Amino acid sequence: MGLRRYLTSKALWYLGALVVAVVLNFLLPRLIPGNPVDVIVSNLSQGANISSEQQAKIYAQFVEEFGLNQPLWQQFVTYVTSALQGDLGTSFSSYPTKVTALVGQALPWTLALQIPAIIIGWVIGNIVGAIAAYKGGGWDRSVFTTSLFLSSMPYYCLSILLLYVFAVVFGWFPVGGAYSLGMSPEWSWEFFWDAQSYFWLPFASLVLINVGGQAVGMRSMAIYELGSDYVNYSRGLGIGDAKMTRYIFGNAMLPQVTGLALSIGTMVGGALITELVFNYPGMGSLLFNAISSNDYPIIQAVTLLITVAVLVANFAVEIVYGLIDPRIRAAKSGE
Amino acid sequence: MSRMLMRASNVTAVYAADDGRDVPAVDDVTIEVPEGQIVGLAGESGCGKSTLGNAMAMIANPPLYVINGTLEIEGQSIDLRTLDPNANRRHRKYRGDVVSLLPQGAMNAISPTLKIRDLVVDVLRAHDRNYAKSDAIDLATDRLKMLDMPTRVLDSYAHQLSGGMKQRMVTVISTLLNPKLLIADEPTSALDVSSQKALIEMLLAMVEKKIMSGVIFITHDLPVLSMVTDRLAIMYAGKVIENGRTEDLVHNARHPYTAALLASVLDPTEDTRTKHVLGIPGSPPNLGNPPSGCRFHPRCRFAMDVCTTKEPATLAEGDHEFACWWAKEHPRQSVPMEVSHA
Repeated sequence: MGLRRYLTSKALWYLGALVVAVVLNFLLPRLIPGNPVDVIVSNLSQGANISSEQQAKIYAQFVEEFGLNQPLWQQFVTYVTSALQGDLGTSFSSYPTKVTALVGQALPWTLALQIPAIIIGWVIGNIVGAIAAYKGGGWDRSVFTTSLFLSSMPYYCLSILLLYVFAVVFGWFPVGGAYSLGMSPEWSWEFFWDAQSYFWLPFASLVLINVGGQAVGMRSMAIYELGSDYVNYSRGLGIGDAKMTRYIFGNAMLPQVTGLALSIGTMVGGALITELVFNYPGMGSLLFNAISSNDYPIIQAVTLLITVAVLVANFAVEIVYGLIDPRIRAAKSGE
Repeated sequence: MSRMLMRASNVTAVYAADDGRDVPAVDDVTIEVPEGQIVGLAGESGCGKSTLGNAMAMIANPPLYVINGTLEIEGQSIDLRTLDPNANRRHRKYRGDVVSLLPQGAMNAISPTLKIRDLVVDVLRAHDRNYAKSDAIDLATDRLKMLDMPTRVLDSYAHQLSGGMKQRMVTVISTLLNPKLLIADEPTSALDVSSQKALIEMLLAMVEKKIMSGVIFITHDLPVLSMVTDRLAIMYAGKVIENGRTEDLVHNARHPYTAALLASVLDPTEDTRTKHVLGIPGSPPNLGNPPSGCRFHPRCRFAMDVCTTKEPATLAEGDHEFACWWAKEHPRQSVPMEVSHA
């Protein structure tokens, strides 16, 4: 019963965190200097001959429509009530497209890029790191240096390097975007075949960085476990290497599982720079464009999504951790 | 004298230092355990007692290498050297079965994510692949009952047991396969006195029930040693400098180091209040560059000229062995104990 109480109290904590996050989410974009309606109106009036009187009228209409003339608290109430109904508002800059539609277009690209990159990077990274720790010597030194280099390199550096070498110099991959001009996203082999050629470079840049980070973490955990008393004792009892490796992995894996869940949580906004470099039409690009045009509803929608994903991932980690580690399970259920 | 159970001869173990030099932590040591006896191995920290234990338990790990030594035990002769890459595989079948280890600081000796019963099964299966799980649990349960321990500990994780219980559980696991020799490396060091007593009583009971045929008990805790051991071997700077029956060593120390070590422990007698604990001046030598002659001479009250140049040979008076020039010149005399009164 202790466990249920623990979970309920944790869930309440996360709910509280969500409320705080939603408030911040709502306020922060509004603290960015500048007014989105200015941008829309100036865009509209470009090239067209519109008198200042007409401009003022258009301006007033947009302000009215977006509710920007209401006091902040009223805007907040409107935001929350419609968000609960699944309506995240209308985009300012791509007026009158709905935010949910824009997110719906961008999200699949990000998920298709990130989920395989995170999982493959995590699996390869852990295996490589564990082998490096186990083998030691030259293997370890080369793996460790490479991993450290990869994981500490800024995302955009690796992306630009890959882009330059493989797309510009060798010309093996297209330079940017997610599919060729003239194509439009649809469920067809033709489109899929076209899109996959755009997929590999951003994918590789994410995988490499993930591998680096995971390998560094796994290596140091495994080295720590290798030197622990239970490994020495198991050896003294004649337990074989294969079994011992399983003990070591079981324990070294714990922090890595957290890492996996958290990176899945942050993935929604995680590849912002990678997506920008490769001009990939995912959530990162959407967020970036929204920020540059003061598009509050989109910023809010994307950050809300990130917040929810991070909170859910954290909650999942707490549960999974308890399942794997008996010590934490004991602490949680108050044994 | 009772039949010899095991004899480890000419054990030399070195730590490979970064600069390419080898530091001999155990230097040509020979040690014997008679059938059914507990032999204590004592000395200051860094004297090589745990290293010798690791060499005999065949768990030397780089940078520690055993470069010489043979273990003869009940008709088997085991090459202790760990230089060849197959040593680990060669030694594995003896570990836990012929020679078992009761480790220093058993607190973390069991993987935190493993139930005790799973470790029990793994240990038995490591030596007999077809060992049935239920048989393994039955064996452990019987063993626990025999030693008056609660059988529910099998279903626990290590963190759910107290320190004393954990150490006793580890002792049971170490002896599941009825090893010929148990090497207990400071098993009581991390325990409070009542847990120490419980553990020692358990070890004595196990020897009596012939679960193992002999024990090497490594510790720096001399009062514990004089209580449980039949024989004592004293190590200094990688060498055994004196060994014999415990009562002979305690009452008739022949090496000044043994005498100094014993004098550094307070015996609770009537005049204890007025006594000072005598330390041993100086500190143990650097094993990378040990003193010439007798390694103890820079700290010895009785050092003579010959001690600084020539290494003393091992002499014997009955089954009491020692390596000391002073003892050679003073046959059958104990080292005068230095006692100071406040």
